[in-house]
Order: sequence, then structure tokens, then C-alpha cells
Amino acid sequence: MSDVVTSTIGDHAPAFRPSYTKVFLAFARNSLVRDMTFRSNFIIESITSLSWMAMNLAYYILIYQFTVSIAGWSKMEYFLFLATTLFVNAIVQALFMPNCEEFSELIRTGGLDFALLKPIDTQFLVSLHKINWSSLWGALFAAGLMGYALWYLPETPSPVAFLLYPFYLACGVAIMYSLMIALAATSVWLGRNQTLYDFWFYITNFSRYPLEIYSGAVGDPIRVLFTFIIPVLIVVNVPARLLAKPLDGQNWPLAVFALFATAASLWLSRLVFTKAMRSYRSASS
Amino acid sequence: MAIIEIEGLAKSYRIYQKQEGLLASVRGLFRRKYRDVEAVRGIDLTVESGEFVAFLGPNGAGKTTTLKLLSGVISPSAGTARVMGFTPWKRENAYRRRFALVMGQKNQLWWDLPAQESFRLHQQIYCIEPAQFDRRLDELVDLLTVRNLLAQPVRELSLGERMKMELIAALLHSPEVLFLDEPTIGLDVVAQHNIQSFLRFYQQQRKMTVLLTSHYMKDVAALCRRVVIIAGGMIMYDGSLSGIIDRFSGHKVITLVFPGEKPPGDLSRFGEIVEEQGPKVKLKVDRNGIGGALSTILAKHTVEDVSVEDPPLEEVIAEMFSLATEQVKGREPRPQLA
Repeated sequence: MSDVVTSTIGDHAPAFRPSYTKVFLAFARNSLVRDMTFRSNFIIESITSLSWMAMNLAYYILIYQFTVSIAGWSKMEYFLFLATTLFVNAIVQALFMPNCEEFSELIRTGGLDFALLKPIDTQFLVSLHKINWSSLWGALFAAGLMGYALWYLPETPSPVAFLLYPFYLACGVAIMYSLMIALAATSVWLGRNQTLYDFWFYITNFSRYPLEIYSGAVGDPIRVLFTFIIPVLIVVNVPARLLAKPLDGQNWPLAVFALFATAASLWLSRLVFTKAMRSYRSASS
Repeated sequence: MAIIEIEGLAKSYRIYQKQEGLLASVRGLFRRKYRDVEAVRGIDLTVESGEFVAFLGPNGAGKTTTLKLLSGVISPSAGTARVMGFTPWKRENAYRRRFALVMGQKNQLWWDLPAQESFRLHQQIYCIEPAQFDRRLDELVDLLTVRNLLAQPVRELSLGERMKMELIAALLHSPEVLFLDEPTIGLDVVAQHNIQSFLRFYQQQRKMTVLLTSHYMKDVAALCRRVVIIAGGMIMYDGSLSGIIDRFSGHKVITLVFPGEKPPGDLSRFGEIVEEQGPKVKLKVDRNGIGGALSTILAKHTVEDVSVEDPPLEEVIAEMFSLATEQVKGREPRPQLA
């Protein structure tokens, strides 16, 4: 052996808190390098993602050939709503979906061991360590659709609405993320939770439509359940309404509630995650 | 100075007993059988700073569980443990910065990327200053002779090469305590030797405290002065490797070569004949009777060659493992209905 070892233990870097931004950028970089390695897969995923967006848009273009309004939403207003839905979906699919899917598998196989060893917040590490870059095309598509709809909207939204929109968009993403990470964390107790993923897919489907359609004997209970108990209905409705509808007294209570719902979702999911990590029993070596 | 202090550490699991067949599976939906498995049964252990300690034991003995408890991956059912003054399962970042765990059967590097990308990520997570990171990486890469492999995706590395990269990833932050769980499993003799040489050299230079689990006696003999034998979740022995034979083997093996084609017929009264090949015979003789047996044989017969040896270490340990497993089986609780 050579005599290249010159330092001894104890020459640690001072116990700094890691820069979460730098770590996230390293995750993003590594994910991009990996995605570029499998070029064909990246191209196919990108095409699939864009096609799904285009089909969604085409579906509503077809519907608006036969009507001028869906539950009080004109074509351009609804395009704003749709763009918001697609944007939230794209962000969730790019950042959280691959990680939450893998998280469940890591729990089952014991691969989570290494995440628990790192001197960094485990929830951060588990939630963001992989980024699905091909899904971000969807965000670009959604931004384009948003620009188009805003251009043709009869009334330009107020500056306040423009300021609040990205904030509530982030709240919506946070609610979706909370739901996803909490469901994934239950794998610790359930062993496997494929059904819960299906469950997640079904309930988030409700978030894709305006609140107004949930009325009547069937609609009212659904609206209450998915607004106040599992608040997926406010994910898209609150930000989209801010841009597409005039700011009036009807919007504000929901917007205030959205703040509370976001904080509560993040807090609850953190609680579930922490409890799950305490119950983690690893898998055989 | 004690760096690891363990008292009464225990870990038990409740495991679902899946019955065979479709009908039993349906029945299992409503009524399940569980078994309590005590992976670690109240062990006490103290490790001094700078020690290289081997954990030996059969599969399922509790070695890996102990390492997982000490690294905070899982929490115990009972007992206490302090590593560098920290309680591992509190998972404090201040603790996690100061130790590392390498598992021979698990991979922590990004599978599709070159190992150097994972190393850069470690740099960010462990807040290693760039100059320090470059220096440590250079040292480790040179010692393990993997410089030409840094840019190769991990999935394209051989098992031995991958284990070297895993070691680099674990050592970049210069841990004071290193837990190694079967680091040479599945490696060929050359790769095993390379890893052993590296670990021996690096541990001596850095004065790291190392806990190693391995099934390979060569790893243990090459690296550790102190051996802890664990079986059925209990510590059966704590001492030197050579002390195992003194304590657990009640016999020695005498090899005798007689003139002519066959050995004399009265040898079995001195001990068990374990091997007979032409005029050569191996006798397993009680330790206390070695002198008497040898002098009688040599007085009575002409002997061309004679040697007295301890039984192979592997054999002694295997006997000990099976004895311990038998003891533990007698204590296993029966499956319970829930």
C-alpha cells in the first residue's frame, strides 16, 4: 500500500447543515444525466406526456363545439382551469410521483436503510432524489395553453390575481404531494400499498373539474368530502378561479381555507412520515 | 475510551406465517398466524475507540440486526446503545455525519450513473469542502486502484469493483465508526484479498473503529484481533480468534503415518478415527489425553511421521453455531393466532 493517506479521522468539515438547494440541484443534475443516458426512453416518455396533454385539450375543444359554458365556465376560462390542472400534474409527476413510487418499494425491499443514514432530512431525501425531466414538457405545454387562454380572456385578471396565482399553485402542489407521500409512507405498516396508489389516482381525478359541477344529492357530499376532509378539490379550483373569475367575495373564503388546508396537509403528512420512519423495520440482508 | 456501549439490546419482530395453498391464503385474510422472532436477545458489548471487531455468526444470528440498530436504521425493542455518545435510533444528523454503514448485499450508489456522480452528491449531503473532498477521493481512488472506473456506470462494474466504490462512498466523509456488513460476500479470492488489504491499511492509518460481519474466516483472521460470536441473538463468545479453539474445542487431531500399507488395528481406543488413507490415519483425541495417547502409541508402534494440530477453526465455529442454534430452538415460542 502506498503512503497516500495523510489525514486522520477528526478532519471533518465543520458540522454545517447541508445546503438543501445544492443537494436538490445535484439530484436534478444526476436525474438529467440518467435520463439523457437512456435517450430513446426519454424521447418516448416526452412524446407520451405531450400526447396526453394534447388529448386532454382536444377533448375539451370538442365539448366546447357543442356548448358555450360548462357549469358557468366559458371556453377560455376553462382552458385556464385545464392549464392549471396540467401544470400541477406535470410538476407532481416530475418531482414527486417517481420518488413516492420508489419510496414504497424501498420500504418493502429494505433499500430505505441508506436514506436513513444520511445527515439530511429523510423526507426531503426520499421525496426529491429523482426528477422525471420528461414530465416537465407538460409544464411547458400548460404554460403555453395558459398564455393562449389569458390572451383571449375577455377581461384581464388583476395584478393581485397574478401575484396570488403562483402562490396558490404551490399550495395545490403541496396538497397533492402531502397526500402522495403520506399514502406511500403507509407501506411501512401495510407491506405493500399498490391499492392505495389506485385510490390516490381515483380521488385526485375529482380535482380536475370545477367545484360548480359537484352539486345536488350526489355532488354535494363529494364536494364537502374532497374540499374539507381530503382537500383535493381546492388544488386546481383556487388558483384557476383567481385568474379566470373576477375577484369577489365568493372566492376569498375558499382562498383562506386553502391556506389552512395546505398547512394542515403538510403537517399531517409529516406526522405520518415521521411515525412511519419510527416503525420502519428494514428487510433481511 | 469506549466508543460503542451496548446494554441489554434486544430486537424482536412479529412475522406473518403464510400457510401453503390457496385455501390457506383465503383463510389468512380473516385469521392470521404470527410468530415472534427474537433477532437480538439482550446483548451487552463495549467497543474501544480504534478497535477492529468481527461479528461472527450463522445466518439469522442477529449480526446485521445489531449493525442496523447501531446505525439507527431500526429501533430496539429493549435496551440501550450509545455510539460516540449518541443514541443511534434518534437519528441525529450530528451522529449520522460521523459513521458509515456498508452492506455487501445492498447498493447505495446511483445504479445508472458513474460512481463519481454519487460521490459528488455525498459531498453536498455531508458538507465536505471541495479541497478536502478532492484530496480524500484521490487517496481512496489510488488505494483501491479504481481511477479508470470512475466514469463507468455502476451497473457496468463487476461486483468487486462496485464494492470498492461503495467503500469510497462510505469513507468520503471520514467516518469515525464504520459498520461493515459482509463486505466481501460473493467476491472472488483476489477481490476479497484486495478489500481486506485496503481495510487493514486504512483502519490502521485512520484509527477508525470498525465492526465487521462476515462469513469468511479469512476476512476475520486478516483483519480482527477481537471476535464476537453471536448466535440466536445472543453473544456466545467475546475474545481473540485463537481463544475460540481453546475455549470451545475439547480435542486435538493427531496425524500418524505408519510403515507398511495399513495402520495398526488398536488405534480407536485412543480416540475417534476421522480419516484413514493407507498407512496414514487421523485421530481425534481428547485434549487432556494427548500426552498419554502419544506416548503409548509411540512406545507400542513404529511411527514414520507424527503431528498434533488444533481442529480447523471453521469446524470449531460450525460446531459452536449448531450447538447455539439447538439451544435457541428449544426456547422459540410457538406461533400464535391473532
